[in-house]
Amino acid sequence: MQSIRIGLLLGLRQIQRASRWTTGLIIFVMMLTFLNLVAVSGILVGLIEGAVRAVKEQSLGDIVITPLDTEERILETERIESELNTIPEIASFTVRYKAGAVLEANYRERRDLRGERDTANINITGIDPAKEDEVTHLSTYVSEGEYLDPNEQGYILMGKYYLDRYAEQFGSAFDSLSDVYPGDVVRLTVGDTSKEFIVKGIVSTKVDEVSLNTYIPEKEFRRLFNRLDHGADQIVAKVESEVEPARIQTILTDLGQDDLAKIETFEQAQPKFITDIKNTFDVLGTFIGSIGIVVGSITIFIIVFINALSRRRQIGILKAIGIERRAIELAYVVQAAFYSFTGSVLGVLLTYLVLVPYFDANPINFPFSDGILLVEPLGTAIRFVTLFVITLFAGLIPAWLIARQNTLNAILGR
Amino acid sequence: MSTESLISARGIERTFGKEGGVITHVLKGIDLDVAPGEFVAIMGKSGAGKSTLLYQLSLLDVPTAGTLSIAGTDALGLSENEKTSFRLWTLGFIFQDYALIPDLTSRENVMLPLLMRGMTWAQASADADVALTKVGMGHRLNNHPAALSGGEQQRVSIARAVAGNPRILFADEPTANLDSVSGRQVIDLMGELHKAGQTIVMVTHEEEYAAGCDRIIRMEDGRIVL
Repeated sequence: MQSIRIGLLLGLRQIQRASRWTTGLIIFVMMLTFLNLVAVSGILVGLIEGAVRAVKEQSLGDIVITPLDTEERILETERIESELNTIPEIASFTVRYKAGAVLEANYRERRDLRGERDTANINITGIDPAKEDEVTHLSTYVSEGEYLDPNEQGYILMGKYYLDRYAEQFGSAFDSLSDVYPGDVVRLTVGDTSKEFIVKGIVSTKVDEVSLNTYIPEKEFRRLFNRLDHGADQIVAKVESEVEPARIQTILTDLGQDDLAKIETFEQAQPKFITDIKNTFDVLGTFIGSIGIVVGSITIFIIVFINALSRRRQIGILKAIGIERRAIELAYVVQAAFYSFTGSVLGVLLTYLVLVPYFDANPINFPFSDGILLVEPLGTAIRFVTLFVITLFAGLIPAWLIARQNTLNAILGR
Repeated sequence: MSTESLISARGIERTFGKEGGVITHVLKGIDLDVAPGEFVAIMGKSGAGKSTLLYQLSLLDVPTAGTLSIAGTDALGLSENEKTSFRLWTLGFIFQDYALIPDLTSRENVMLPLLMRGMTWAQASADADVALTKVGMGHRLNNHPAALSGGEQQRVSIARAVAGNPRILFADEPTANLDSVSGRQVIDLMGELHKAGQTIVMVTHEEEYAAGCDRIIRMEDGRIVL
C-alpha cells in the first residue's frame, strides 16, 4: 500500500514536471499507435462491410426469399406477395424474375455480315420499376438517361459493366457492348425469340448485382421468357428500421411460407465467403496493428529506460533513504500507464468523434466498394486494454532493470 | 563488540577490482564503535577511505570482509530488501549534494520516507512541516529544490533525514558544496540535533566543523590512525 502511494506520487510528479512538449509528443505517438491498431483493421473490415452494406441496400434488402432447393422458382408467388402486404413491419418489397439472354447492339449499322457481332451474354431481371425503386432506390443509380417508367414498354435499363466504356478496366472478364448510349436500340434474344428495346438508362453502382444486370418491366419479361406461371426467382423485402428482420422471418415461417420458398435474412443469405473475408481482414488488420503495438511498446520502453537511466542516481538515493524498489518501479509504470491511457483515450475520441463520422460521410473510393471505417465498441475496448497492459510491461521492464542495480553504484554513477 | 555500542564494526575490509586483475584495498581491517548519542567525525585526505567506510556503516555498500552490528542487528546478514527497510526505520542520510528529488516540493521530499513508513498523507504532511520548520525551512514548504539555494536544499535534506527520528544519522561531507555561512548553519543544525540526543556519523574535510564533534576518527590509507 505504501509502495503504491509513493509510486503514484513519484510517477505523477514526474509527469507534472516533465516538458509539456515531450509529454505531448509521447502521447501523440501513443495515439497514433492506438489509431494504427483500430483504424487499420477498421478500414480493412470496413472495405468489405461497405460492400456488404451496399449489396444489402441496393440489392438484397433485409429479407431474401428464393426458391426452395428442390424447386426452380418460388412457389405461389402471388400468395407470398399477399402475405407480405399484410405484414405492417414490412416497409416495401419487390418481386424479381431472372434469366440469362443475349443482348446485341449496333446491328443496324453492321455492314460486314461476316464480321463479329456486337453481342453480350447478360443477366436480365424483370421488375416492377416502382416497387423495385421503393426497395433499392434503383432510380438513384441511373448515371445516364432515365429510369424505367412503369407505364412504358419496350425500354431496357442496362448495368454499366455491359458497356465497353465502363468494362475496359476488367478486360475480357465479361461481355460488353460498344458505343451504346441511352436512346440506342438493342436486341434481346432468348432462344429463338428476339425483341428490340430502347436503352432507357445506364445504372452505375459498385454492386455487381446491379451493374452487371439489365432490367425490363416484369410483364415484358414474363411474356418474353414465356413465364406465365408467375413463379418469381427472388423476392426482396425491406423492413421498418426498428424491426429485426429475424422477426419477420419468423412471422413468414409461422404463416407457412417456408413451404413455398426459402426465407432468409440478409445475414443468412449473404455468401459465407463474405463473412470469411471479413474475419480474415479483421485478423490481417489486427496483425498489422500489432506491429504498431510493438512499435508503441518499444517507444514506451525507450522513453522509460532513458528516463530511468537519467534518474539512476535519484533511484539510488530513493533506495538509500528506504524507499522500496517496487515503489520506484511503480513510478515508471504510472508514467507508462499515463502515456498509454491518455493516448488511447484521445485515439478513441478521434476515432468515434472524427474518423467514423468522416468516413461515413466520405467513404473511401475503392473499385468495388465505398469503404467505411468499421469500429466495433467491443473490438475497440479489447485493443484499448491490450495496448494498455502491454505498455505497462514496456514501462515496468526498464524500470526494473535500472532499479535493481546496486544502490551505491547508482548514487555514485559507477 | 561493545554491548553499549550503537554501531560496532570489526575487521571491515573493502577491496575493489576483479580476481586476477588489479585489486585495490580501500579499507584494511577497520574496527570501530559508536556509542548512542555520540557525534563522530571521520576525517582524512582524499582517497583515505572515509566515504567508503561511511557507505559500509550505513549499509549502502557491502564490505569484502568483517562484521557489522547496528542497533543490535547483524546488518550484513540482511537481504537487500531488509537493508532498505532497515535504512528506512533506523538510519538517516545527508548527502554532499543534498540528493533531493527535483520533481517534489520540500514538503513532499520530507514526506517520502514518512509515507513509506505507513503514515497517512495528512500525518506525514504535518510531520514534514514540523521537521522543515525546525530546520528553518517552514517558509519554503511548497518550493521545488531548483528554487532553493544550496544551503536551503541541505536543510531540507536534513529535515528529510531526521523527520522519522532515525537511530543514527549519517552525513557525507554535508558542507562540501556550501559557502562558509551556509556550511556553518548546517553544522550548527547538526549540533542541535546532537544535543537533542541524535547519534551522528559525519565525514568531513573541515577541521573547524569536526572540532565540535565528540570524537574525531582520522583515516589514512584505509586505516584508522587516531
